[in-house]
Amino acid sequence: MTGIFRPRQLAAIVAAALPLLLAACSGQYPNSTFTQLTDFNRDANGLWNTMMFWATIVFVFVEVLLVYVMFKFRRRPGGPEPVQTHGNTKLELTWTVLPAVILVFIAVPTVKSIWRFQSGAPANALQVDVIGHQWWWEFRYPEQNIVTANELYLPIGRPVNFTLRSADVIHSFWIPQLAGKRDLMRNRTNTLWFTPDSVTPQAFNGSCNEFCGASHANMRFRAYTVSQADFDSWAAGQAANAIFPVAPPAAAPAGATATTVAATTQDTVAAAAPTAGYAFPLSELPPHVLPKTPIPAGLTIADDVLAAGDAQRGFQQYSRSSCIGCHKIRGNPSSLGVIGPDLTHLGSRHTLAAGLFPNDARHLALWIKNARKMKPLASTSMPTLGMGEIDPILKTTVTAGLGGLTDQQISDIVAYLMTLK
Amino acid sequence: MATVAASPTYTDSAGSHRTGIMDWLTTVDHKKIGTLYLHTALFFFLVGGVEAVIMRAQLMGPNGTLVSAEVFNQLFTMHGTTMVFLVIMPLSAAFFNFLIPLQIGARDVAFPRLNAFSYWVYLFGGLFITIPIFFNAAPDGGWFAYTPLTGREYSPGQNLNFWVLGIQILGISSLAAAFNFATTIINMRAPGMTLMRMPMFTWMSFVVQWLIILAFPVITIALFFMQFDRFFGTNFYAVSAGADPLLWQHLFWIFGHPEVYILILPAFGLVSEVLPTYSRKPLFGYAVVAYSGILIGFLGFGVWAHHMFAVGMGPIADTVFGVTTMLIAIPTGVKIFNWIFTMWGGSIRFTTAMKFAIALIAMFTIGGISGITHAAPPSDMQQTDTYYIVAHFHYVLYGGAIMGIFAGLYHYFPKWYGRKMDERLGTWHFWLNFIAFNLTFFPMHFAGMLGMPRRIYTYDAGQGWELFNRLSSYGAFLMAPAFLIFLWNFFRSKTRGEVAGDNPWDAATLEWSIPSPPPEYNFAQIPMVTSRYPLWDITHPERMAGIPHSAEGWDDAKQRTGEHVTSGGKHEADVAPMHIESERRSAKELGIPMPNPTIKPLWVAAGILVLFSSLPVMYAGKNMIAFAMMAIGGSMFVGFLYAWLTTPMEDAH
Repeated sequence: MTGIFRPRQLAAIVAAALPLLLAACSGQYPNSTFTQLTDFNRDANGLWNTMMFWATIVFVFVEVLLVYVMFKFRRRPGGPEPVQTHGNTKLELTWTVLPAVILVFIAVPTVKSIWRFQSGAPANALQVDVIGHQWWWEFRYPEQNIVTANELYLPIGRPVNFTLRSADVIHSFWIPQLAGKRDLMRNRTNTLWFTPDSVTPQAFNGSCNEFCGASHANMRFRAYTVSQADFDSWAAGQAANAIFPVAPPAAAPAGATATTVAATTQDTVAAAAPTAGYAFPLSELPPHVLPKTPIPAGLTIADDVLAAGDAQRGFQQYSRSSCIGCHKIRGNPSSLGVIGPDLTHLGSRHTLAAGLFPNDARHLALWIKNARKMKPLASTSMPTLGMGEIDPILKTTVTAGLGGLTDQQISDIVAYLMTLK
Repeated sequence: MATVAASPTYTDSAGSHRTGIMDWLTTVDHKKIGTLYLHTALFFFLVGGVEAVIMRAQLMGPNGTLVSAEVFNQLFTMHGTTMVFLVIMPLSAAFFNFLIPLQIGARDVAFPRLNAFSYWVYLFGGLFITIPIFFNAAPDGGWFAYTPLTGREYSPGQNLNFWVLGIQILGISSLAAAFNFATTIINMRAPGMTLMRMPMFTWMSFVVQWLIILAFPVITIALFFMQFDRFFGTNFYAVSAGADPLLWQHLFWIFGHPEVYILILPAFGLVSEVLPTYSRKPLFGYAVVAYSGILIGFLGFGVWAHHMFAVGMGPIADTVFGVTTMLIAIPTGVKIFNWIFTMWGGSIRFTTAMKFAIALIAMFTIGGISGITHAAPPSDMQQTDTYYIVAHFHYVLYGGAIMGIFAGLYHYFPKWYGRKMDERLGTWHFWLNFIAFNLTFFPMHFAGMLGMPRRIYTYDAGQGWELFNRLSSYGAFLMAPAFLIFLWNFFRSKTRGEVAGDNPWDAATLEWSIPSPPPEYNFAQIPMVTSRYPLWDITHPERMAGIPHSAEGWDDAKQRTGEHVTSGGKHEADVAPMHIESERRSAKELGIPMPNPTIKPLWVAAGILVLFSSLPVMYAGKNMIAFAMMAIGGSMFVGFLYAWLTTPMEDAH
């Protein structure tokens, strides 16, 4: 019987050593909290290691003692009656005082760390306002005059101070590799600060950590740590208005492949929208940052229809659709809504629907077609727009009278939105 | 196993003769009510287990599609709610009912009919909160039900109504039972059973009753606020009207953290009975174990905000609650060492009960240590609301409370049913359960620290969580057969187990001095107690040398129990006659007045159920039906309560 317990002791030692191993191979664990990338995490990990040091000692001591007692004092046939002991004051005092002493060694650095990170951010910190919504993230950079969604850019080496608020229920803001989490609430303002000072240009996953309703699991975001120069370029691009070139529609030859259309569109943008700033290169994104969420069954759009999307027509279609009631595109005078994510530079983002899908034409089209199917109860505000689609909440079929859009119209809008770099 | 002799039975007294189902519906016998609690809780254990297995199937791989987000949210809400309120608390209540009167040498609890009432309210509340899951309308706000998500604005469906009202109903049950047991322990101890001679299970239960009495009113108020918000449009938690979203959290955790000790202390009590028995030694440091239980209960009220380190309470609150949380590790650690040193130098017999008790020590230690890691707020900010926390509290509540309850079940089954549970099946159950438990929950530590949030119905591929989730799911799938083996063993052993006799384990406390199962009146003669281990005084006087003996408390007890005390002076020997089977007689023959069975508590409980059910009906806009239900429920409640209170409990004697 006692033999069976040995692997557990072994497991205990391995368990204690694992955090270090994990830190060493963070590539395999891309959301590990055991990183040294920020002052916050170095502090938290220092505490963790202190606690694990004592925990390992206590754990091994208790479990070894337990196994020893089980082995040593098991009943043997004909064994003697045990010697009766009822207590031992010295012994009992020892195992009361000793844990108390150990706790002092944990409590002191704990208290130090609490006060260090809750005494206000350094004065030079970059200010970012985070507003949680069911189920997406709004990011505002007040100094840079930027409003964006679901993707954060952070300059390496500069402290960043997040001001956290919520538009509805409680959410929690967390980038495990960079810092601990902090809740976002209505009627309250929270702050969280850290300095991404030991980071290379890197992409990170973030998530909501307070249960916030049906799509809590789908409330994710991305954070990119970039050089100060790249950050400035990005910020300048994001701060600028979207200028949609009112130019002759790009000639899309019949039967053109999606690639050629995309290439054509990009050329147009490159020429006509010089304001587009830095964006974290898609090619350098690590696999874990690229969403792999499957498209729900039964939601499709034909390749050729998608490829035939025309940005010019899309611009007009968008500007008279119901989209403008909720979404803002600075530079598009009709698109003034503030309920949904700001779309001014939608095309510069790599993910869609709060980190749930890659931001490409197909996913964007299907999102417009039936968002509530793409993401459970995506939002009570983002309606189902695809003509003939059944709205998962209302259980009704979308018609033209209800503002329904044909696949062609959706493809046009997608073509327009993708130009908004 | 070969023994298939007739089960030992006892005759009911003539005055309380009912048969079949009516016997169960009208019983006021604490042992039968304990049995009802036990079976109902095991049923809900199965329900909560199925919920868990479905969740683990969904999370086995990334982007799972077995259940929808809405269903998953209902599953984890109901899994937590079920396991806390409908499984662990009632399993503890089963032991409170069955054991406390037997351990203190009483013939029943202080208020037998209130006891029946507590059970029926629990059953109705449990069904009220569980049945909606079959209509896809189960509560879906988490067992913690944080506002404003659970307010009408963000959860307009009926789902949360069932939670608010269901927990409120269950609270009535818990409070009624807690007052009952506290009164029982204070007033009904046998002569000589001073507080510091009470068996440790009774001690821990005593602490728990006070925790319930002090903690449940807080959640009751909090729930009333929420109930008023949802049904009558008040603004206690309405953020759009300026409410503080933290009000609910503070109230919930002021209840919620003591609740953790309400769940764990009875299990601590049970293993404190099991470990000495199978080690053949008295509990090491009895007084310290008792005091540390009290201290845990006391400190348990001062640590609630450690559930809230991420909400931004400021450095002062974080410091205070971090330090108090660390402090609570001290009395808990003391218990661990006292248990180990109870075994030290003993002669340990590895029965299934003992294995589970030792497993509690081993597993709770892990849960306690991970608990320390989130007592440090900066570190906790990386841990809270991740799977690390899920791992932690399952080591505490499964590795602790459930392991302890299993130990108690194997240990007390012979007393309950007169037969032992099968040890071979028990060993299978233990090892399967032990391995499955660790396989399920240990990997969750890693998943959490590697960035996996809690309460997510899906996660993307390539996040480094696949392996840990797969292991956890395999563990859960293995835990299911372990539990089924237990159920099979449990139900089979009731009729086919080895006949146990009065004291199969050579235990030391009063409950083992009477026949198994105990007669309706428990003790033909109220025993006179002179020490902590009255039965070992008779069977193993050599073990009792160092234990103080005295007739302390006899006079007080005579005043309390009056005519029931039939003799004084001879002490230990008084326990003896009950062992002789042929001399056992009915309560009436012995002239022991027993409370009459009555169905009124059930009807009063049903009145409460109807009253509460009217609110969801009103919420659905059917006001006239709701008012009719209120009138009917109210009349049932008042009418049957009046009938109950005006009917004497016992026949005139």
